[in-house]
Amino acid sequence: MATIPMTPAELDEPKTSLWRDAWYRLVRNKLAIFGLFVIVVLAFAAAFGPYLTPYDFLSQDLNARNASPSLAHLFGTDDLGRDVFSRVIYGTRTAFVVAIVVTAIAVTIGVALGAMAGFFGGWFDRIIMWLTDVTMSVPNLLLVVVINASLKAPLAGWMEAQYLATLNPFFRETIWVDFILVFGSMALISWPPYARLVRAQVLSIRSRPYITAARALGLTTRIILLRYVVPNAVGPLIVSVSAGLGTAMVLESAFSFLGVGVNPPTPSWGNMISDGLRVWQHYPHLLAAPAAVLGLATVGFSFLGDGLNDALNPRGSK
Amino acid sequence: MNAMTMPAPERLLDVKGLSIEIDTRRGPATIVDGINLHVNKGETLGIVGESGCGKSLTMLSLMRLLPNKIKVKSGTANFAGRDLLTMSKSELRKVRGGQVGFVFQDPMTSLNPVMRIGDQICEPLIYHKNMKRSDARIRATELLRLVGIPSPAERLDAFPHELSGGMRQRVMIAIGLACDPELLIADEPTTALDVTIQAQIVDLVKELRVKLGMSVVWITHDLALIAGLVDRVAVLYAGTVVEDAPVEELFARPSHPYTRGLLASIPKLSDVAANRLSSIGGTPPEPGRRPQGCPFAPRCQLAEDICRQSVPPLEPLGGSGPHRVACFVAQRQLEAA
Repeated sequence: MATIPMTPAELDEPKTSLWRDAWYRLVRNKLAIFGLFVIVVLAFAAAFGPYLTPYDFLSQDLNARNASPSLAHLFGTDDLGRDVFSRVIYGTRTAFVVAIVVTAIAVTIGVALGAMAGFFGGWFDRIIMWLTDVTMSVPNLLLVVVINASLKAPLAGWMEAQYLATLNPFFRETIWVDFILVFGSMALISWPPYARLVRAQVLSIRSRPYITAARALGLTTRIILLRYVVPNAVGPLIVSVSAGLGTAMVLESAFSFLGVGVNPPTPSWGNMISDGLRVWQHYPHLLAAPAAVLGLATVGFSFLGDGLNDALNPRGSK
Repeated sequence: MNAMTMPAPERLLDVKGLSIEIDTRRGPATIVDGINLHVNKGETLGIVGESGCGKSLTMLSLMRLLPNKIKVKSGTANFAGRDLLTMSKSELRKVRGGQVGFVFQDPMTSLNPVMRIGDQICEPLIYHKNMKRSDARIRATELLRLVGIPSPAERLDAFPHELSGGMRQRVMIAIGLACDPELLIADEPTTALDVTIQAQIVDLVKELRVKLGMSVVWITHDLALIAGLVDRVAVLYAGTVVEDAPVEELFARPSHPYTRGLLASIPKLSDVAANRLSSIGGTPPEPGRRPQGCPFAPRCQLAEDICRQSVPPLEPLGGSGPHRVACFVAQRQLEAA
């Protein structure tokens, strides 16, 4: 039986804050904790996995091609005798790097444009919203395919020409063209939802009494934006970023699957799935391993996103 | 007593001919129509009127805090020698929160929910007084003690949602008082609170006003609440001042038919329980559909032809003195008496 608190100190509720409350609600949510666990494991694999794997992701063992999963090769080997487990782990790094960089760029663009559109309104708002509508109306895959197909070859050619002309080693590594184009084109299609979300938040916060109260205190627009508007808008943004990271991973895999993302031999879940799909009747593990990890990552981010949503908007969920 | 020989009290705030318009689909509509108001140094002015008569808008407009579609059309607002309505934005920022403190209507939503109350009280101190954070926190503790919050040092780290409504309104008042303002504008500060807390807040402001020697403007629709607090009352109706008098004078000799109606509609303990509460018939005019003459004429039982044709000016009752009323009938009745 619970004891009845008697002293004033016991009667006082423990000190709470918005974030601490949200954290308590989050850890009580089993699915969210599962999601968080999956993400932490994958993030660990992305950060340190390549140094821990038993094989290099490129080393080929042509005597053990298409081997089934065994103790030596946990997920088996592919058609060139490369260890699939090592490749999946290296693919985790690719997926995380692409997801984090793309989301960071998209959130930066989205928050900046959305917050200004919401706060200043007028023609600026109209232009930004028109821009998001236009971007969202173009089919995502098509836009990325067009950008990569039309820019990658000329850009790589230009880099090569620069290298031959200047011998500057900076221009030799054309892998960066790959990454810049993948990051850039994916960020280009990912920012509008963030801009819309932040704009809607700012629009509703702008007219709250505490903003008028802050203006009545003589605070500057900059302080009001940074200390009053943005902190109050950040809750839904966190939820959206968590879900967005998962989406960006799927997007990267989709583009690699189609051959417009990260180029082989750099392992990516998407191009591994694409390779595995051709032979899945004979060697199902080549498809199953990357697909299962991609699925797990997506589920992890989506559970965490849901959990954050419930934790940060407790009124909306129950 | 001859009014001419008395030294005129120094005016801290002097609003002249203030008109406010709202943009509607049918064009601009006047909400506040040429208001004249003043607050003397150390005086407490009550502004009374029903919902939508322009009380809050008038005060917001002085701080240039009007919402987007509402604009000041004409008028001046002289505060300590400068016009609030035309001064530069940087000057205005120094007045806001520095020389003029503002206490808002709803303590539940007027505090930033993600900021500790100590930080919110420190904000104007750091900004206006260039205080160091540690000094500002000491001052914030003093302020919380001043407004009667128990164990103030611990409360500094509380978030608004951890405090009750009355406590939050005390915090709002503490923020309003932070920089020793010359004028405290309280916009219906007790409307969202229950009756006992209302009385506490009124007593608190009454005490602080004397202690700190500041002027107060208290906006309310509750005449009875402020009877013991204010020195002078301005009665607003449809965006104009209809009567302006020292508080005892107003209660003893209400002259405008609207003021009389307001006073008559306060329920008394001696009322027979079966009686219906008395009220003023009709509704105030909508903005944009103001009558040609006196705005109260359509609801007024004493209205005559002249009331419907021209607007009565706000003039001292009987030619001189502090009691001013904007009513043809009241002025004539007094002359006849």
